[in-house]
Amino acid sequence: MAQTTTSPSQIGPVSTDSSRRARLAEFWYYFSENRGAVIGLFFFLFLIIVAVFAPLLAPHAPTMQYRDAVLVPPFWEEGGRATYLLGTDAVGRDILSRLIYGTRYSLFIGVIVTTISLVGGILIGVIAGYFRGWVDTVIMRVMDIILAFPSLLLALVLVAVLGPGLTNAMIAIALVFQPHFVRLTRAAVISEKTRDYVVAAKVAGAGPLRLMFKTILPNCMAPLIVQATLSFSNAILDAAALGFLGQGAQPPTPEWGTMLAEAREFILRAWWVVTFPGLAILITVLAINLMGDGLRDALDPKLKRS
Amino acid sequence: MKKTIFAAALLAATALAGVANAKTLVYCSEGSPEGFDPALYTAGTTFDASSRPVFNRLVEFKPGTTEIEPGLAESWTISDDGLQYTFKLRPGVKFQTTDFFTPTRDMNADDVVFSFERQWKEDNAWHKYIPEGSYEYFAGMGLPELLANIEKVDDLTVKFTLKNKEAPFLANLGMDFGSIQSKEYADKLQADNKMVQLNQMPVGTGPFTFVAYQQDAAIRFKANDAYWKGREKIDDLVFAITPDAAVRLQKLKAGECQIFPYPNAADVPAIKSDDTLTTMEENGLNVAYLAYNTQQAPFDKVEVRKALNMAINKKAIVDAVFEGAAEVAKNPIPPSMWGYNKAIEDDKYDPEAAKKALEAAGVKDLSMKIWAMPVARPYMLNARRAAELMQADLDKIGVKAEIVSMEWAEYLAKSKDVKRDGAVILGWTGDNGDPDNFLHTLLGCDAVGGNNRAQWCNKEFNDLVLKAKTTVDQAERTKLYEEAQVVFKREAPWDTLDHSVVVMPMSKKVKGYIMSPLGHHSFSGVDVEE
Repeated sequence: MAQTTTSPSQIGPVSTDSSRRARLAEFWYYFSENRGAVIGLFFFLFLIIVAVFAPLLAPHAPTMQYRDAVLVPPFWEEGGRATYLLGTDAVGRDILSRLIYGTRYSLFIGVIVTTISLVGGILIGVIAGYFRGWVDTVIMRVMDIILAFPSLLLALVLVAVLGPGLTNAMIAIALVFQPHFVRLTRAAVISEKTRDYVVAAKVAGAGPLRLMFKTILPNCMAPLIVQATLSFSNAILDAAALGFLGQGAQPPTPEWGTMLAEAREFILRAWWVVTFPGLAILITVLAINLMGDGLRDALDPKLKRS
Repeated sequence: MKKTIFAAALLAATALAGVANAKTLVYCSEGSPEGFDPALYTAGTTFDASSRPVFNRLVEFKPGTTEIEPGLAESWTISDDGLQYTFKLRPGVKFQTTDFFTPTRDMNADDVVFSFERQWKEDNAWHKYIPEGSYEYFAGMGLPELLANIEKVDDLTVKFTLKNKEAPFLANLGMDFGSIQSKEYADKLQADNKMVQLNQMPVGTGPFTFVAYQQDAAIRFKANDAYWKGREKIDDLVFAITPDAAVRLQKLKAGECQIFPYPNAADVPAIKSDDTLTTMEENGLNVAYLAYNTQQAPFDKVEVRKALNMAINKKAIVDAVFEGAAEVAKNPIPPSMWGYNKAIEDDKYDPEAAKKALEAAGVKDLSMKIWAMPVARPYMLNARRAAELMQADLDKIGVKAEIVSMEWAEYLAKSKDVKRDGAVILGWTGDNGDPDNFLHTLLGCDAVGGNNRAQWCNKEFNDLVLKAKTTVDQAERTKLYEEAQVVFKREAPWDTLDHSVVVMPMSKKVKGYIMSPLGHHSFSGVDVEE
C-alpha cells in the first residue's frame, strides 16, 4: 500500500512538469545530444540573419552589371579584385551579393512551400483519418496517384502548364509534397482516435471539429514537424532544380539554381561562377537536414533513451 | 559446328583488322538529324547528316565560297529572256550501292525531274509521303509559284521554265532541298509499300554511303567507291551525336572524335592554346537580330524602335556572349556578302538620348517582353545572356523587360505569330550567298507571319528587293540592295545585333577540311593522318 502511493513531494518536479519551460528544456537536452543538429540549427539561424539583412550585408546590388568586370575571379586568385570577394559572373554581377540575396529566395521558397503543403496536408489528412469510409478512400487514392509520379517530373509538368516563374514553381512543389503530409497526418489521427482520452472527450460532448483539431491534432505534431523540416530542404533543392532547368525563377532573379544553370558552360574556364551557388545549395540543404535529424531524435518517443 | 565457330571468329578477326587499317574520321555532331530526306527539313544539323555526305545537287557551292560550280549538271544555258534554264547532266554518275538497294542504271533526267516534282506537284505520290512532313524550304523559296514547267528533253538534258525572272535561281538549286534522289530507289520503295524508308535510309550520288543510324548516338557512313569525283581519302565517317559543347570538347581531347562544331565561347581561348588541336575560324555568313513586332503598339512607331536600339549596348553583348569573337552588326546582311552597304551609320549607344527620344514619342512606363532562344546557334551562342544584358540596358532608360523562353520548336512556331507579344531574338545563316536570301526572305512582305519576325511590311523596301530579285545585272542589284538597307536602317524593324565568327576545333591529324561560309559541315576531301 505504502509502495503504490508515492508522495507528491517526491515526484513533484517530474510529473507536474507539464509546464512549457520544462518541456522545452527536455527537448533541448535531447536535441543538443546531436552535435550535427546544433551546428545545422546555428547555420540556419545565420541564414535567416543573412536573408533579413541582405541589403546591409551585400556589397553590390544583385542585378547590377559591371560591364568592365566580367568574369573576375575571387579576390585570392590572380586578377581578382577586393570589391568582388567571390568574383563576378558572365555579365559582371557580383557573385557574393547574388548569393546573399539568393538566401532570401531559398528561405522564402522553403517557408512558403512547407507552409502550403503542411497546412493543406494536415487539413486533408485529419479529415481522411477522422471520417474514414469513402472520404478516406477517395482522398488516399488521389494522393497515391500524385505519389506515383516522380516528384520533379510532376513539378515540371505543372510548371509547364502554369508557365515558368518562381510563384508557379512554388505552387507546383507544394502540390507535389502534399501527399507526404496527408499520409503522415492520417496515420497519426487513426492511431490516436481510439485512445481513451479521445473517447473521454467525445463522451464529454465535444463536437467533431473540436475533437479533430483540439484534441487529436496536437498529439500528432511530432512527426509532422520532422517531415516539415525535411520538406523545407527538399523544397529548396527542387526549386533549384527547376531553376536549373529554366522553369523556376526567371532572370535576373538571383536564385541559386538559376545561377548554377547560367554558369554551366564555365565549369572549365571560370570555376567560381559554378562552385559558389552549388556550395550554397549544398551547405544549406545539409544544415537543414541535420537539424531535421536532431528534431526527430528529440521529438520521437521511440528514440528517447531514458 | 566447331568449324563454323572458327570461321566466324576468323571472319570477325579479319573484320577487326579491316577496321584497324581503315581511316576513320569521327565528327562530334551537335544533335540528331530530323530525318534523311533533306528536302523535308530546314535545320543545318539535318543537312550535315543527309544532303552533304550522301547527296549531290545540279549545281554545288565551291568549297569555302558561295560561288556555284557544276555538280550533277555538267553545264547549263539560260535563255535570253531569263526564263528557261537547260541543264546538261553529267553522264555515268552512279547511285550508291548499299545493303538495301542496288542501282541498275546511272543517274539521268528522270531522277532530276522526280526530285523536284515530288516537292512541287501536289498530286505526286511522294508529295506527302510523311504525314507530318512538308517541303518547307521549297515552298519558302517561292518555287511553287515560280516554276512553270520541268521537262525531260532527253536522258541527260532537263529544262526548267520559270514564270518570271529570278536572279538567285541557280544558287537556289544549289541549296539542300535541291538534292537529287534516285527515282529507281523511290519506285522500288513505293512498290514495296515502304515509302517512309526514303527518309530513313538515304541513297544518293554523294561522296559517302549511308550505313547505319542510331538515334541520339551515332550515324555511320562509308566512302562511296563509285563516287564520280573519285573515292574519298577516308574510309569511314562517323557522326558521334553529342549535344553538350563541353562534352564535345572533352571527347576531342580524349581522341574520341577528331573534329566538332560550335564550341562554348568560354572554351575557345583554351582550345587555341592547346598544342594538340588546331582551330579554324571564319566570319560566318550570318546575322543575329532583335525583331520588334512592328504591328504591336507602341513598337509600331519608328521613334520607339529607334530609341530602344540606342539603349541597347551591342558591344557588351558581343563581349559577354562571344568573348569578342563577333562583330557588332549594323546591316541585316553580313559584311562579307556583296551588296553590303558600308556607308550606313549605326544607331549609337546612347542611353540619355534614348530616354529623351522615348519621352518625345510620348511613351511612359513601357514594359515589354524579350524572347530568348533556348539553344545556341552560330549567330547567337547564348540568347538568354544577351537578353539579360538587354534587360539591364533597358532598365536604365526606365523600360521594364521580361525574358520569355520556351522549347525550340515551339519558339520558332510561336514567334511567327503576327499577334506575338514582345521582341524576339533570332538570327539567320545564309543559304546561298545571295542578299535576296536575307533581305527578301526575312524582311519581305510575303514573309509576314513567317520568317519576317518583325511582321514588317514596308512598301518602299519591298519594292526595292522585289526589283532586285528580277534584275540579273549584279551591279544594278548591288545598288538596289544598298538602297534597301538605307530604308531598313531608317525604319529600324530590327536591332541588328552581331555577325559572329564561326570556330571549328579539330585534331592536328585532320587535313584538308574547308570551312563553309554557309555553315555547312562537309567532309569531302578531308584526310586523317596516321
